[in-house]
Amino acid sequence: MKYWPTRVVSILAGFGVCFLISALADASGNDYTKRLVVLAGVWVILSVSLNLINGITGQFSIGHAAFWQVGAYSAGIISVQHYANSGITGLPWLLLMMVAGALFAALAGLVVGLPSLRLRGDYLAIVTLGFGEIIRIIVQNQKPLGEAYGMNVSPKFQFTWLVWLTAFAAIAICRNLLKSAHGLPFLAVREDEVAASAMGVNVTRVKVTAFLIGSALAGVAGALFAHYEGFISPQQFRMEQSFIILTMVVLGGTGSITGSVLAAVALFYLPEKLRDMGPVTGGQLLAGAFATVLAVYLVKRVIDHFHGAKKEAAIRHLGIVLGCMALSFVLSIVLNQVPVLANARYEAEKLRMVIFSGVLIILMLVRPQGLLGHAEFSWEWLKRVLGQRRSEAAQTS
Amino acid sequence: MDLGTAFAAGLQLDFANLPQQLVNGILLGSIYALIALGYTMVYGVLRLINFAHGEVFMLGAYMALFVSWWLGYSPTATSLGQSSWVNLLMMLVASMVVCAIIGMLIELFAYRPMRSQPRIASLITAIGVSLMLQYAGALFLPNSPPQPIREEVNPYRNEVLQIPLKPRDAEFLEKIKSEEAEFNAAEAAVKTQMEVEGVKSEFDLSPEGRLLRETRNKERTDVTTMKSEYERSGVSLLIPYGQLIMFVTALALMLILRHIVMNTKPGRAMRAVSLDFDSASLMGINVNRIVTLTFAIGSALAGAGAMMSATFLGLSLTTFFGVQPGVKAFVAAVLGGIGNIPGAVLGGLLMGVAETLVVWSGYGDYKDAIAFVILIAVLLFRPGGLLGSSKVEKV
Repeated sequence: MKYWPTRVVSILAGFGVCFLISALADASGNDYTKRLVVLAGVWVILSVSLNLINGITGQFSIGHAAFWQVGAYSAGIISVQHYANSGITGLPWLLLMMVAGALFAALAGLVVGLPSLRLRGDYLAIVTLGFGEIIRIIVQNQKPLGEAYGMNVSPKFQFTWLVWLTAFAAIAICRNLLKSAHGLPFLAVREDEVAASAMGVNVTRVKVTAFLIGSALAGVAGALFAHYEGFISPQQFRMEQSFIILTMVVLGGTGSITGSVLAAVALFYLPEKLRDMGPVTGGQLLAGAFATVLAVYLVKRVIDHFHGAKKEAAIRHLGIVLGCMALSFVLSIVLNQVPVLANARYEAEKLRMVIFSGVLIILMLVRPQGLLGHAEFSWEWLKRVLGQRRSEAAQTS
Repeated sequence: MDLGTAFAAGLQLDFANLPQQLVNGILLGSIYALIALGYTMVYGVLRLINFAHGEVFMLGAYMALFVSWWLGYSPTATSLGQSSWVNLLMMLVASMVVCAIIGMLIELFAYRPMRSQPRIASLITAIGVSLMLQYAGALFLPNSPPQPIREEVNPYRNEVLQIPLKPRDAEFLEKIKSEEAEFNAAEAAVKTQMEVEGVKSEFDLSPEGRLLRETRNKERTDVTTMKSEYERSGVSLLIPYGQLIMFVTALALMLILRHIVMNTKPGRAMRAVSLDFDSASLMGINVNRIVTLTFAIGSALAGAGAMMSATFLGLSLTTFFGVQPGVKAFVAAVLGGIGNIPGAVLGGLLMGVAETLVVWSGYGDYKDAIAFVILIAVLLFRPGGLLGSSKVEKV
């Protein structure tokens, strides 16, 4: 009974944060900033939904952009063809489209989820990748969907708060699933499928449910994306995008919702920051690459050969990273004395995928479980602090 | 009209063209088979899908491009000497050696440290390496505009092997002659009419003249139709010498591979490792060396395939050159039964044929999707592949 007030407060707080984000984005008065905030929300939804399939249920799916695409195109085409004579306007229509996007994407998720019953690991990965490509190629050859050129989606709906509210909803769905008894079978399937089925877990149902929820959420993200941008093309849903979502999930820690959210926001903003920095010279690129490789080698050595206290290991890691950063700075100045290197310019835009793939490799070499592992953000530490204070107060009085 | 003909009419299938397409498919398939061998060998020893294999292929093609530049066939060169087979051989060997080295390096730095980790971690590393080679390669390698290897480097580019399957219908020759006579008569009629009327252009003719002109035009189309029908009445296979060399080289390389795997000591060790990794190392096999060797051989085959497809098929290179062939070859490996060497060859040939048949049937837009459709069908209905046997995972 004392549970529900907390829940109501947290739901209200969620709404509050969404409107706060929206208000802050509006306050910037800059369309570019606003768009970034919205797209960050879309990526959070995508990464959290893939985390449900990949991290929580352990079904390695690498074609997530396909569900996003199905959501975007199905919502887009319905809007284009039926908005004018539907009689529904504004927000209710967008909500309807979100549901439509979710349904169609869930259907696609079911189609992909069914083969996953027979496949595991790398085979499943390839099949999801294949489904993604098939869906993209089919869309690319449909006249009403604009073929390879893309299609205009009208009307446009640009609700920043709605995107973030959906993101919060996605987080809440995954978090509540994990915390409830319904979520335990998902974790069991991830840890050991055979053992889970021996313990009476309906593995089939768990896998299909994970695919259904995950793809439906991606479909909602697609509907929001299509109506926000007003234009969608198959180019926006390439294989590369699936790998970016995968990088987010892996970087955050497979299975950690907090990690997925943080990694999504960080990896989304990183290229934008890079673009602001302007082109990189050849010397900087070379120095950066060298320092990164050196840092990874040294960190790996510490991990493999140092068995001291955690704190001391952390200090060593920090030292290596800072040292290599300093080294790369010095080295870039030295290398830029070479005219060939100083004159070579590399656009930051082109470095984006290089950095993402580097993140994937380094992460697997150094910390395969991701930055946060299975850890989640919670208020426990606050309670602990408050609880300690209270007990201290009780002792002193 | 029975259903089959109706279906064919709907698709507008050109059955006279079918044998040519099948041959093209087999030629293309030989390249897929070469790449598929790399996938299947690595999967055999490490149980790892080497996602970066397609990128090794891409780098091999670039190596061939650079060697062709070095030999004097750069895009800016104007006076090109007569090329010879030595140039082609140099490009082939350079590609194979460089690919073998790249393959070994990738194994050493990316896959070996991951061997104790779960398989998914190796898979993510493989995806990372593949993306890294594509996008980092795009920074340094010439890729916009896409670079083709100049066809002048191929000394056999003008020679075509022609195998007549069905001779052309001789009675068409008579018909063509009579049609041509009719056309000449009509043409002469137009000419005389122009002189009679005293106009310079045939468009200024009077109504009777225009009638003559129309008759002449009709005769002209008749002649061209008849000629094309004559062409189509015979069926012959056209194989450019270059592609024939490609096929024969691929076949030779496969036979060499078979000899290495079946009849040599390292080959036996390779089979042992693929049978049981741990037991093989207990039996005194240096497993690391065998894995390196596997990567070297597999990558060298991909390099050969890359050089030949870039030179003889006239494809332009970007750093994403290896993605589609890589995926198709992987599907070929799965289709034949991954880990199974004859299976990879069979799968490669089938993939090539399937792809050309899709293009032939008029669904060329879907030619990249067919690979995945086959893959999904195979994994659902016969996960072990055509020649492989599926194993049940035991606890």
